[in-house]
Amino acid sequence: MSVAVAPLQAEGLLPEGLDVSFKLLPGIIVVSMMTLFLAIGFVFKVADTDDMWVAGRSIGNIENGMAIGANWMSAASYLGMAALIALSGVYGLAYVVGWTTGYFVLLIFMAAQMRRFGKYTAPDFVGDRFNSDSARALAAITTFLIGFVYALGQARGMGLVGMYILGDINNVVPLPGLDAYQAMMVLFMIVTIAYLALSGMLGATKNMALQYIILIVAFLTGLLATGWTEGYSTLLPQIEYGLLISELGAEFSDPFAGGSYYLWIATCFSLVFGTCGLPHVLVRFYTVDNERTARWSCTWGLFFICLLYLSAPAFAAFGTDLYGQNVGAVYGDPGMTDAAADVIVVLAAQLAGLPEWFVGFIAAGGIAAAVATTAGLFIAASSAISHDIYATIINEDATQRQQVLVGRLSIVAIGVLTIIFSLDPTAPIAALVSFAFSLAAIVLFPMFFLGLWWENTNRQGALAGMIAGLIIWLTPMFNEGHFGSGWGIEAIATWMPAVGSALIGMPLVMLITVFVSYVTDEPPERTKMMVRQCHSPEPMPRNKTAAEVVREKNGNAPADD
Amino acid sequence: MQDNLTHDQSMTDNDSHDDAQEDGERKTNRGPPDRPPTEQVRTDGGKSDVEIEREVDYLEVEINLLKPATPFMRDHLRVIWLGFGIWVVTTFGPITATRFAPDLMTTPMPIIEFPLHYFLIAIVAPSSALILSVWYAKKRDGIDEKYGIKQVTDDPDDAGATAEPAAADGGTDE
Repeated sequence: MSVAVAPLQAEGLLPEGLDVSFKLLPGIIVVSMMTLFLAIGFVFKVADTDDMWVAGRSIGNIENGMAIGANWMSAASYLGMAALIALSGVYGLAYVVGWTTGYFVLLIFMAAQMRRFGKYTAPDFVGDRFNSDSARALAAITTFLIGFVYALGQARGMGLVGMYILGDINNVVPLPGLDAYQAMMVLFMIVTIAYLALSGMLGATKNMALQYIILIVAFLTGLLATGWTEGYSTLLPQIEYGLLISELGAEFSDPFAGGSYYLWIATCFSLVFGTCGLPHVLVRFYTVDNERTARWSCTWGLFFICLLYLSAPAFAAFGTDLYGQNVGAVYGDPGMTDAAADVIVVLAAQLAGLPEWFVGFIAAGGIAAAVATTAGLFIAASSAISHDIYATIINEDATQRQQVLVGRLSIVAIGVLTIIFSLDPTAPIAALVSFAFSLAAIVLFPMFFLGLWWENTNRQGALAGMIAGLIIWLTPMFNEGHFGSGWGIEAIATWMPAVGSALIGMPLVMLITVFVSYVTDEPPERTKMMVRQCHSPEPMPRNKTAAEVVREKNGNAPADD
Repeated sequence: MQDNLTHDQSMTDNDSHDDAQEDGERKTNRGPPDRPPTEQVRTDGGKSDVEIEREVDYLEVEINLLKPATPFMRDHLRVIWLGFGIWVVTTFGPITATRFAPDLMTTPMPIIEFPLHYFLIAIVAPSSALILSVWYAKKRDGIDEKYGIKQVTDDPDDAGATAEPAAADGGTDE
């Protein structure tokens, strides 16, 4: 029960102040939760690929909204956002704003149109819209990269929170070469992968509504209880924490103490447009009946997301105050570490003296958030590999069985890759995840947006834009040392930080795509008709794609993809 | 704009008697037309938006975000751009105002004691996006209604929800 700061852990990630020890009740809560996930996954287990990828497209408004919420609210929302708000103050709020308001842009410009286009995955959209297997492959690689980078943050979250629940496994079974954080991260990643390999997306979707409920209940009751027992708040901590702000120090609330105005705008911009380009979010709009359901489930999704996002700053405020009272100074040198900040939600509940099982429940919510999102990401990544690269490019005669097999193998592959890179993560949870948003905003968003709203966008434009986009995204990633040892070029770090590279990158890719499309031949009439079909007010039957409508209209015109 | 429309249907028979039938033909396999077609706003002597819209073959009109080619797209894009404009202000406005008027923006608010900028960023911006989303989805349902667009659903349980938007949507505002 003691705050175990064993010497052998000192070099690894260790959140100071967190009670790292084995706890039976929280352990049981997590284990039964994971078992429940697996059991439900097993009940909905499917072998048919159509069911596996988009859940048979038969999910209603509210359930789909909850699935959007669970898919969306990852460890970055549950843990990472409060962490950044605690450490970086108003700069951290760029994440609150970016990760909620982006849904409106998604709603007005893309949700219903994507539904009408009627394709399974983001690469499918890009491949069919631009009549190009190269474009499809680029989108598939991007999808895979997004899943991978995004999952790094989730893995870090699982590892850190896992330490609260199960303690340091090394005290029980010495694992040479793995510290407490690493052992937990590996353990929970294996559980996630095993779960995904067993169930397809239908199971996962049913789970996601459940996961949403678990994590929102855990988060909100945790916040209420923490605020209540410490006397910070009564029934509406989301507003009452305002009374505390003046006591938390200038770092918490001064406008530009944690990051410049430019950095705030760049980060928020990247997160907004990344939201609109994220494959695992867009895939949710294929699971609905019609465009109206797509619109309303997007709105419901935002509502479910806002419940947590309006509460996170309150949790950060309580956590910051409790940390200052019980552990040490939050700001200054040495101050609170990234690792401690990343578990501030759990830490706040622990420092408020809440019962162990309850803190364990809050921690379990964090793990649920990480598992749910990782599930969605890995599905999108694995379908990019099995559906868009394997079945479309490598082996056109692939049977469903082969596709499912390749899909499962690629889930294992991305899981292993994530584990390796998460052994020593280069940034806090929220920043790791925001790299994925920059990538989605730079490479995928312009393709979706221009592809849906300007019919003359063509193959050459898309290829030029996507290649340029990948280079633009990689530049700050290498520069800041997230891949490799880093270049350290000052100008790039200032004006195109990896967390906000889309502010420059996204418009640049748009311009390149428009320019190249403009100077090359217009796309074929059939392609233009598909775009037009996406905007027609006329209802489309379920399971029908824009391409099929165009094909019917043109009689027996040959398919081009 | 007329150039973009096809006239194959309107050339032949376009008096009001045939509208219902024509409407029925357009929506083959999608159930009967859901509302009488000609009761919509009729502009002076010309055709109403709804009538023009009915003659449009969407596969023949240019899709350009900046040049809406049909009455429906014009109505829809008007809502989209208005919403987007408000969204830009609520999303990036508070931090920008704080950049230019830091003293004013950091003033503590009465009662709840939030510094103004903190409240506008952390609470008003996300809530605005939610309210805008509800507003947009309702507006869009309204446009659907104006043009007599009925969504298809093949799940009998969902049919009720689709037919009665008010019941299903009211809860979102909470």
